[in-house]
Amino acid sequence: MKKSKKKMWFAVFTLPTVFIFLTVVLIPFSMGIVYSFFEWDGMALHEKKFIGFSNYINMFSDERFISSIWITVKYTLIAALIINVLGLLFALLVTQKLKVRNTLRTMFFMPNLIGGLILGFIWQFIFMKVFEQIGSSTGLDNIFFNWILDEKFALFAIILVSTWQMAGYIMIIYITGIQSIPTELLEAAKVDGAGYFQRFKSIMFPLLTPAFTVSLFLSLSNSFKIYDVNLSLTGGGPYNSTEMFAMNVYNEIFSYKNFGYGQSKAVMFFFFVALITLVQVYLSKKREVEM
Amino acid sequence: MLKKISVILVSILIISTIAVGCKSESASDTQSTDTTQTTGSKVKDVTITIFQSKVEITEQLEKLAKEYSDMTDGVEVEVWGTTGDDYMTQLQTKLGAGQGPTILSAGVGTEAEDLSDYLYDLSNEEYVKYIAPGMEVRSKDGKLIGIPYGAEGFGFVYNKSLVDASKITDYDSFSNTLKELKESDVQAVSLTKEAYFLIAHILNVPFALQDDPEAFVEELTNGTKKMTGNPIFEEWAKFMEIIKSEGVNPLEINYDTQTGDFATGKTAMIHQGNWAYGMFDSYDIDFDMGILSMPVNGNDKISVGIPNSWGINASASEDEIKAALEFLDWLFTSEKGQSYIVDKFGFIPAMTNMKTDTLDPLGKEVAEYTASGKTLPWVFNIWPAGIVNNDFVPATQKFFSNEKMTGNEFLQELDKAWENATK
Repeated sequence: MKKSKKKMWFAVFTLPTVFIFLTVVLIPFSMGIVYSFFEWDGMALHEKKFIGFSNYINMFSDERFISSIWITVKYTLIAALIINVLGLLFALLVTQKLKVRNTLRTMFFMPNLIGGLILGFIWQFIFMKVFEQIGSSTGLDNIFFNWILDEKFALFAIILVSTWQMAGYIMIIYITGIQSIPTELLEAAKVDGAGYFQRFKSIMFPLLTPAFTVSLFLSLSNSFKIYDVNLSLTGGGPYNSTEMFAMNVYNEIFSYKNFGYGQSKAVMFFFFVALITLVQVYLSKKREVEM
Repeated sequence: MLKKISVILVSILIISTIAVGCKSESASDTQSTDTTQTTGSKVKDVTITIFQSKVEITEQLEKLAKEYSDMTDGVEVEVWGTTGDDYMTQLQTKLGAGQGPTILSAGVGTEAEDLSDYLYDLSNEEYVKYIAPGMEVRSKDGKLIGIPYGAEGFGFVYNKSLVDASKITDYDSFSNTLKELKESDVQAVSLTKEAYFLIAHILNVPFALQDDPEAFVEELTNGTKKMTGNPIFEEWAKFMEIIKSEGVNPLEINYDTQTGDFATGKTAMIHQGNWAYGMFDSYDIDFDMGILSMPVNGNDKISVGIPNSWGINASASEDEIKAALEFLDWLFTSEKGQSYIVDKFGFIPAMTNMKTDTLDPLGKEVAEYTASGKTLPWVFNIWPAGIVNNDFVPATQKFFSNEKMTGNEFLQELDKAWENATK
């Protein structure tokens, strides 16, 4: 009697989730894998031609696709690094005994509440008008010019905007990490004569490793999957120098209308994200210390 | 007891959640069986849906739909909203899921061809005889699949107090005019950074000036011809050089800035179409304007075409199709429907049974060019899918951001872009 009741409750709570997961993740995902072996333009009434692994083989000679991967990797590494460094610095700052710390927290977190698309448009204006104004009025026009139009700087424009958006979010994770460190440890070290930097290096840093794991995971996978800021800020331009992985997939499917080929790129995209994040989580889990 | 009740409540909740998820499907099932049973002479209790891509007319269309619903007995017209940019993506998804709209934007050229299997053949409709020659949207196998929204035309929209159009007849007079304008401290000419305004429209001119544009597009695709070396394209490239050197950098200008600068008299010429007039509403304009052709090879025609067309979803139920046909018939033949098209939507009619005297100045200009036969076709509709955004725009960005790049090098880039899009 009791056992069957337990089973029923188990079903009541898990079945809806399983149902949703099945219909919105698992089924579309496997259908996507199937489509990646076809040549098809995405129109349901049009013929699907089975072509085996050709889509996957073609990818290796698709220069634009490969360069979009490189751009994404470059972007992910730089952005994830800056986001985490800034996030940690912000967290350290707002856990000090400051009068303005709550205001600061809100301000750092605020950009995260604005969607990436809108941020992109706001910053497009900043780069177009404000940067040029600063450049022409201070004479520093080799730094302050319209970054979006420059092949080398456009990527950094995206990095700047997405860092600004993401750092506040990562900061929250570090704050909880810092607050969960027992104060006795820090006080004991202080009594023993350890300076701030020493306390940070030998006590806080190792105890923050779980926070690092989460933050790195979030910032790496989010940066790799970036699309919204990419679309609204540069749209892939100038001359495709900032077209990243997700955008390349979208363009292949919905603009060139190569549904099958685009789908195979999307499958590759999945493997890339899975690989990177699994390796990262494995490595940082190894470093975590138990209290 | 209480527990039992809560268990029942939770189960109901879950079942209803799941049921809601499946609802739309079963609802449409029952609807289709219903309607096949009641197929009779009179259309009864049908909902037709309109899904179209022009954001500018959504509000007016909703009003029209309401009016039509009130007027008829039992026909409900519903308008689905869209943001415009990803219209084809949304439509494709809806059609693929078997939940397509009844009336849709069928597009023109490549787009219409892609959709043609979904579209109902409109050849037997009464009003199609009014469609202006060459403006019907047909599929490759000859079906009439789209009725044009209206006509649109583009060229250099110019300020009549700054530019004397009669003086501009060829390359030399064009470039001299630009130089003079620049010396008099006016921005001579501007394009904008949006894909179609940046390159697609202006590149249409040399394509349309070929002897047989359709054949030319095919020959470009199979590699037997190139833009480089073609005399018309080479002259067009010279125009692009002078636009680059005398005009403003289009990559720093968007549609709003461009039309604003024109309306306030800061820019003498902008490469735009009659649709731009809507942007001038909030300005007090104290000059006359007109549309000027791009005089490549002495050309005196402007590009006029139809931006989009109405089509009917052939996979809708019989009753829905019937109601949709009646709706379109009313739209194109009744006084009320026509006044919506011309006055409320602001379209230049592409049908001969409508009056044009209430059009704005640019619309009138386009209507005049059309009446005197001075029009070029819109060849960009048959360019390969995606080429403008993905290949032409990057090439053009390169051209405008590199001062040293010549027109000929630009043509080579465009050739490369074509190759890439058709590989």
